[in-house]
Amino acid sequence: MKTPAVTHETYLNRLWRRFEADRFARYGLRMVILLFIVAALAPFLANNHALIRVADGRITFPIFLSLEPIEWRFLLYLPLAALIYFFRRHVLEHAGFSLCVVLAAVAMVEIVLAISHPVNDPSNDRDRPASFKLLPPIAYSPVESTPDQFAPPSWKHLCGTDSTGRDIAARMLHGARISLSIGFVSQSIALLIGIALGGTAGYYRGWFDIAVSRFIEIIECFPSLLLILVAISLFESQNTMFYIMLVIGLTSWTGMARLVRGEFLRLSSQQFTYAAQAVGAGDARVILRHLLPNALGPILVTVTFGIASAILIESSLSFLGFGMQAPTPSWGDILSESRRYIDFAWWLAFFPGLAILVTIMSYNFVGEGLRDAVDPRLRIK
Amino acid sequence: MTTYIIRRILLLFPTLLGITLLTFFLIRLAPGNAALLKGGGGENGARAMTAEQREATIKLYGLDKPAYVAYADWAWRIVRLDLGESITDHRSVAAKIGERLPLTISLAGSALILSYLIAIPLGIAAALKRGQFRDRAISFTVFVLYSIPSFVAALLLILFVAGGDYLDLLPMYGINSIDASEMGTFRWLGDRVLHMILPVICLTYASLASISRYARVSMLEALGQDFVRTARAKGLPERLVIFRHALRNALIPVITVFALELPVLIGGAVIIESIFTLPGMGQLMLQALEARDEPVIMGVTTLAAVVTLLGYLLADILYVVVDPRISYE
Amino acid sequence: MSLLRVDNLGIQFGPPEDPVKAVDGISFEMMAGETVAVVGESGSGKSVTALALTRLLASPPARYVSGKIEFAGHDILRLPEHDLRGIRGNQIAYIFQEPGSSLNPVFTIGYQIREAIELHRPEVRDVRGEIVRALDTVGIRDPERRLDDYPHQLSGGMQQRVMIAMALACHPKLLVADEPTTALDVTIQKQIMDLLKELKQSSNMAILLITHNFGLVADFADRVLVMFRGRIVEAGSTSEILRNPQHPYTRALIECVPKLGQKQHRLKVIDYAGID
Repeated sequence: MKTPAVTHETYLNRLWRRFEADRFARYGLRMVILLFIVAALAPFLANNHALIRVADGRITFPIFLSLEPIEWRFLLYLPLAALIYFFRRHVLEHAGFSLCVVLAAVAMVEIVLAISHPVNDPSNDRDRPASFKLLPPIAYSPVESTPDQFAPPSWKHLCGTDSTGRDIAARMLHGARISLSIGFVSQSIALLIGIALGGTAGYYRGWFDIAVSRFIEIIECFPSLLLILVAISLFESQNTMFYIMLVIGLTSWTGMARLVRGEFLRLSSQQFTYAAQAVGAGDARVILRHLLPNALGPILVTVTFGIASAILIESSLSFLGFGMQAPTPSWGDILSESRRYIDFAWWLAFFPGLAILVTIMSYNFVGEGLRDAVDPRLRIK
Repeated sequence: MTTYIIRRILLLFPTLLGITLLTFFLIRLAPGNAALLKGGGGENGARAMTAEQREATIKLYGLDKPAYVAYADWAWRIVRLDLGESITDHRSVAAKIGERLPLTISLAGSALILSYLIAIPLGIAAALKRGQFRDRAISFTVFVLYSIPSFVAALLLILFVAGGDYLDLLPMYGINSIDASEMGTFRWLGDRVLHMILPVICLTYASLASISRYARVSMLEALGQDFVRTARAKGLPERLVIFRHALRNALIPVITVFALELPVLIGGAVIIESIFTLPGMGQLMLQALEARDEPVIMGVTTLAAVVTLLGYLLADILYVVVDPRISYE
Repeated sequence: MSLLRVDNLGIQFGPPEDPVKAVDGISFEMMAGETVAVVGESGSGKSVTALALTRLLASPPARYVSGKIEFAGHDILRLPEHDLRGIRGNQIAYIFQEPGSSLNPVFTIGYQIREAIELHRPEVRDVRGEIVRALDTVGIRDPERRLDDYPHQLSGGMQQRVMIAMALACHPKLLVADEPTTALDVTIQKQIMDLLKELKQSSNMAILLITHNFGLVADFADRVLVMFRGRIVEAGSTSEILRNPQHPYTRALIECVPKLGQKQHRLKVIDYAGID
């Protein structure tokens, strides 16, 4: 009888294996990655400028001229993701850290760039003659009005057009960037605050814990709608996205804080914590290198559901009229507009609704898969 | 036990203080003055009210006083349970809340009870056939439902089931038909129920996912415990092993979570109320926010906060009551 | 006439192409009133065997691939579920390793014992009296009051006594004790083993003791079965085995028990290469 070989499996390897076993979680993850890529490449997928243009014997790349340099940031995320993938073993070893750092970096970049808004450049390359031109797959800019209003879906406009002739497909692609940005940034903020407050409360306990718990309750009971309203009316609408991200982040960290606090309360009374402290590890080291990686599972789950929830909140806000304003292409905004025209322009509601549904569902599947993979109590009997 | 409860209730006050203070200052921070907005704001405001009237309003509601003084005034009044008057229509805040609260409670309450009644059996059914078709089917369905934003669902339902172009089974707005006042009691009740069906559906379906998953996990955990093996070894029929021994343990966390959902009875349903034109608490709050109606905003916020905090306390108490292993810490 | 007869029992887990043979063709017999100890290390298949005696193993994932279990004339492996339940708790009773988690935390101990009595002995009128008597027999002081206690209010030793009381409530012919003292500390271990010895003498109950500790066996069992990797490698009366262990594994197991007065510096460890 053979003895099974001893495999060296880390916590995260095992988590990954259990995650992969769930069919829905796999599909969800692929969809999430696809959405991310689409969002990253949106300016290249839907733009009224050509990718390559050959005219008068010269080769030009109009698309790069039309982009503000800051649009290139999404291009940066792809190599960043590739880097993470190739160095995944190192990353996973310092997983707790890495997660926070990556999300924080993304958040910072996005915050700085959220102040940008799409440029309405009516000069398009569709009509300019050239000996050769390679247009993006959807040759329309999301904010470009055409005389072709309320066009139903066709080969020319894959998802139809809206009341001012803007191509819905282009708006959908760019809307993905907004939804994902809002999701990631708000959750990064929530993550950082939640871990900081919840972690220290769970670790230090005592009066500090009581104070933090009361603070958590205060924020939970606080009417976030009020905060959003105030934020939006205090500042010009051009920067709405930044403030929406901020507000959602500032009001949704409580769930994470409660979770991290609970986990740290549990973990900090386990033997390994005492061992680390006995060897002389400082509090910061114990928290970051010992406790945080152990709490990583539930944290990942919360972040995933949080992103889905943030996307939902943003679309609800836009729907009610508080969120992103036109011409910024937000899915919720398109849906809100569609209410008026739903009788004859069904595509205005169908595509954004479908996009929101699929996105949220994918994140939910990933979150649920993570939750099942992480839960040590679900022994298979 | 009673000392624990008293201690928790005493802790409520600093939290309430924090919430109300924060809210008040934020309202003051927001641009726009209630008195100005009252006339419609901007030029309309200037025309609808004379300067004296505006001054009088401002004085009446203490809008000219510095924030901390105004807050102190409000706090002193609230301690005596006087919620003040709404700036927009001079009616008592308590009365305004009183007209809308029953509606919100009946809507949200029905949704809450209904969601638990449906979700718990679903979760248990899924747990009993873990990994098999029934489990996957339930999980999938519940997830798709969870992912549908409430306004999308509402729009779809209205489009297809209510006064739209297809079916016309259910009314699409309001809480009673126009001729409701002329109906006898039974018909009126039936009319109201009809009007409530769609909003309640919209409020219920989304929480089916979380509750049923929670019940499922809890049941799976209970089924994996040693005492289940003991119960079988004693010779108990499988039915009793599952529904008497395992279930009782599995329901403990689910029941306690129930109390945490109570706050939704106050303010939960802004979007649904907006779409179905229901005069509920959510709408009240929304209108108050737009009009910067301080007393109403403070009144609703305080009420919601009190209910939330009491809900937390109730959850903790339930936990102690239902699980013999826990005693107050 | 033997009380229990196991014949070439085989139980497997995992895929049929590459199975884990938890129990690989074992056969043994037990007479009424006999005490038999099954000794082996973790993974030897002893617990699986014990659970199989009343088909307590969940049938996926476990598979009964071969053999026969005969108890008091019943063919356990083919018995219909309803009849099997009549045997469980009634003729064959169990006590397990972790008494704390083997008792349901939300019911009182009185209730849990009552369940067993009401299930198998519906003719009993004074159930409460029976429960008190059962608790008293296992040495619980003040049983009248203890009845309404919850498991978490009792110490480990007392919890195990309650388990024994519950097992004995219906006067079973066979008590299967799966590592009953492993989770308890040494002084309590002795108390529980003494209690079991006492109960053995006062009734004609057969006991199947599963353990990895040869030390418990000496003073307690009539016969010993040594299991290793799903097979019985040696069987015989306790005195024979202890005096003259034949199989190298048995010898190694016995040597693992530290003895008073021995002058070894290192504890003996089993060298698997020399076995099988």
